[in-house]
Amino acid sequence: MNQLLCRNIHKKFGRRRILEDVDISLTAGECLLLCGRNGAGKSTLLRILAGMERPDQADVTIDGTVRRWRQAKKRLLAECIYLHQQPYLFEGSVRYNLNYPLSGTRVAREARIREGLDWSGLADLAEQPVHQLSGGERQRVALVRAWLRGPRVMLLDEPTANMDVACRQRTVDLLRTLKGQGMALLIATHDPESFSGVSERTMVLHDGCLKDADLGLTELPEKVTPIGRRVRGTA
Amino acid sequence: MGSISDSTLQALTLLFGGDPGLWEIIGISFRVSLTAIALATPVAVGIAFLLAYGRFPGRRLLITAFNTLLSFPAVVVGLTFYILLSRQGPLGDWQLLFTQPAMIIGQIALALPILVAMGHSSLQSTDRRAWETARTLGAGRMRSMLTLMREARFGLLAALLAGFGRIIAEVGASMMLGGNILHYTRNIPTAIALETSKGEFAQGIALGLVLLAMAFLLNGLLQLVQGKGRPVA
Repeated sequence: MNQLLCRNIHKKFGRRRILEDVDISLTAGECLLLCGRNGAGKSTLLRILAGMERPDQADVTIDGTVRRWRQAKKRLLAECIYLHQQPYLFEGSVRYNLNYPLSGTRVAREARIREGLDWSGLADLAEQPVHQLSGGERQRVALVRAWLRGPRVMLLDEPTANMDVACRQRTVDLLRTLKGQGMALLIATHDPESFSGVSERTMVLHDGCLKDADLGLTELPEKVTPIGRRVRGTA
Repeated sequence: MGSISDSTLQALTLLFGGDPGLWEIIGISFRVSLTAIALATPVAVGIAFLLAYGRFPGRRLLITAFNTLLSFPAVVVGLTFYILLSRQGPLGDWQLLFTQPAMIIGQIALALPILVAMGHSSLQSTDRRAWETARTLGAGRMRSMLTLMREARFGLLAALLAGFGRIIAEVGASMMLGGNILHYTRNIPTAIALETSKGEFAQGIALGLVLLAMAFLLNGLLQLVQGKGRPVA
């Protein structure tokens, strides 16, 4: 997958409008920052893109094919991965968690786990039960686990929240590597400065609308979709 | 006083002397109750999962119904199935009354509400992120469900032990549906009731000791299991 485009995203919780006609596009090797006050809908947008939260309306274009969100859900789940602000690690060891998304023979999985542990600097913690890890270590385990799954798009919800400076730097370095490998990253954050060396663009979610931090409202040219409804098209 | 100590002594002799009649009753009890719990558990876990994670009309009503059934007396369950399985009943053609399958049916009906109610509460208290994480890591619905069950395993095991504890010791349904037939449907609680009514306490005390030992063992296991359950953020 080279490009993910999600258009006309609408989402309400009860009477509260969270997202209104939001368009967002992610390309391989691109890193976008998503800012906005608490409750602006950043996590909701990420979860919709991950195929985990059903929007009231949304059209998804993956590599030029347009589908309704419901039809694209399976593909979104396959291509995107969502990391919670406080990642959930399954009870057991770090190794158990890293093994979870892997398939194939035991030897192949073991090699991938070793690769992940070396990549993230967690090699000493392989057998550690996850409840003994610090917040920063948990975040890194979740990041490596997500990387091992091999998604094309990673959607991260406050990945450096509550981290000390060294840990934050390490996480940013890992994200830079992922980006270098061609993964598309969308990071919801309150601290865009931390990712200034990684991201190209910063978007702001405000009153249900997505705006470019520099340019104002995101405007994309119009085109007609294969499902016969007029939507604003990609550039 | 003397007769109590004599009966207890006799009971211990029966128990540890390997009395075939006594151990046959214990065997029937365990066979029937283990079969009932084995059949009830997958169904109950499925229902518990649906109640915890499904969104459908009547869900709350169903939860209330299962919670209400928790306090349903065993004898009423026995009566209900007696009516259903008796010769004139709607299921009379099955000719199950006074058989071990009838006892199993009754015990399933008794165990199911406990398994569902405790299983539901255990699954519901599991962090919702567990399900989402499993899904986003590429697990299908079935694998995600198994992952969630693994995360909730201590609570589910506690439900299993509580359910088994209830049915192995219940007398009402077993007596009415099994008929307390020697070598076939006589289990520990019905044998105790019979022996006591005859004024012969030795076998009753021996079987009572078995139930007591089992209750102790189950509670010990429960403590062990609950002690191991550690919430993972």
